[in-house]
Amino acid sequence: MIYAGGVNGGGVSVGNGDNVSIVDGKQIISINAKGGYFPRMTIAKAGIPTVIKMNTRGTFDCSAALTIPNLSYRKVLPPSGETLIDVPPQQVGTSMRGLCGMGMYNFTVNFN
Amino acid sequence: MTNPDQKTYTFHVNGMHCRACVILVESELGDVSEISKARASLGDLSVEVTGEFGDKSQDHVANDLSEVLKPHGYTLSLEKQRHSAKWSDFKLAIPISAGFIIFFIILQKLGIVNLINTSNVGYGTAFIIGLIASVSTCMAVVGGLVLSMSANFAKEGDKVRPQILFHVGRLIAFLVLGGAIGALGSAFQLGATGAFILSLVVAIVLLVLGVNLLDVFPWAKRLQPTIPGFIGKRVHGLKNVNHTLTPFLVGVATFFLPCGFTQSMQIYTLSTGNFWTGALIMFTFALGTLPVLSLLSFSSLGIHKSAQSGVFFKTAGLVVIFFGIFNLINALVSAGIIPPIFSF
Repeated sequence: MIYAGGVNGGGVSVGNGDNVSIVDGKQIISINAKGGYFPRMTIAKAGIPTVIKMNTRGTFDCSAALTIPNLSYRKVLPPSGETLIDVPPQQVGTSMRGLCGMGMYNFTVNFN
Repeated sequence: MTNPDQKTYTFHVNGMHCRACVILVESELGDVSEISKARASLGDLSVEVTGEFGDKSQDHVANDLSEVLKPHGYTLSLEKQRHSAKWSDFKLAIPISAGFIIFFIILQKLGIVNLINTSNVGYGTAFIIGLIASVSTCMAVVGGLVLSMSANFAKEGDKVRPQILFHVGRLIAFLVLGGAIGALGSAFQLGATGAFILSLVVAIVLLVLGVNLLDVFPWAKRLQPTIPGFIGKRVHGLKNVNHTLTPFLVGVATFFLPCGFTQSMQIYTLSTGNFWTGALIMFTFALGTLPVLSLLSFSSLGIHKSAQSGVFFKTAGLVVIFFGIFNLINALVSAGIIPPIFSF
């Protein structure tokens, strides 16, 4: 379920792996954006094609203005919907950070 | 040609804060019939006047010319009024500004942004999103700019008109540009470099204006952004231009400032595909931000005694400096230059 992680304001959430799935050899990392990013920390597999799926639901705050410096990715997500971001296979140990436009919300994906 | 009746006096100008003020002082004094030449200097806050003053004493001349400048908020004196930093004001200014900053951080921690639960944006929702945006981190950008600008104008004795013009500029820009986005179906968006530079500029402007409000470093006045003198010399009534056009244009510019709420409202607006829907959505959003922003811009009206004003300007200065640092850090973080420091 997409919103299993809970769209909530406070608290640090660490993904328990529920937000990572592999479909047809593609790794899909699901992250909710609203008042911050959840989960804040995700452990993913290195070396396989990956898609980050950003879920927005009534998201009008800064977390809609997403940047991922590693990928030179920069986009304002639609207020509601899913946005797919293609990520090429990453090396073991890569840490990828996503930030909101003003920098005060962030999430990290570690590739192992 | 030398006229034996010509005399040259040097006076200190009290209240001369900016480059525009220098030109204003020179042009006002130049209009006085007895005066043939007037040269003001911001560096040592003085003015040198040459003219025929008859047998009036220097003191008398200073009083007469002060009358001419009084409507603009300046006075002349023989003795330089000593610049006093009034460090004692900080005893109150530090706790008040710290309280405000803590309140701001708690507001962010509360997760107020989650109060928005709908994905369909009507005019009512746009208004509520505006209300929430005005107490979100966007306050660090737009609110910081409003506070620093209005406090700086209030310092020059202009408490109402520039502030109203700012809000008029902001509302008109959101109406017109919102409509344009709706009609064109594409939003104005900066690239990574553009966004970084813009946040950096906002941060630096806030830091300069904030330091200026503290009034402890006289040299900081020279850094104050204003219309360059060479343009001003050609425009009659320069103070008026600086106090009308500047706030209006800053109001218009807030449409483009980095604020997640404004950006995502723009994205929503472009999906409407209609000029009037887009215009009214962005307009009601801006209307929603109006109550909190007005509170910030008219806070200086609460100052009646000059004893309070020192505390007020120093408090505003500290808050604005905090917002400046906040923006600076955020700009560096979102460019991936430093790891996140603030994390809400």
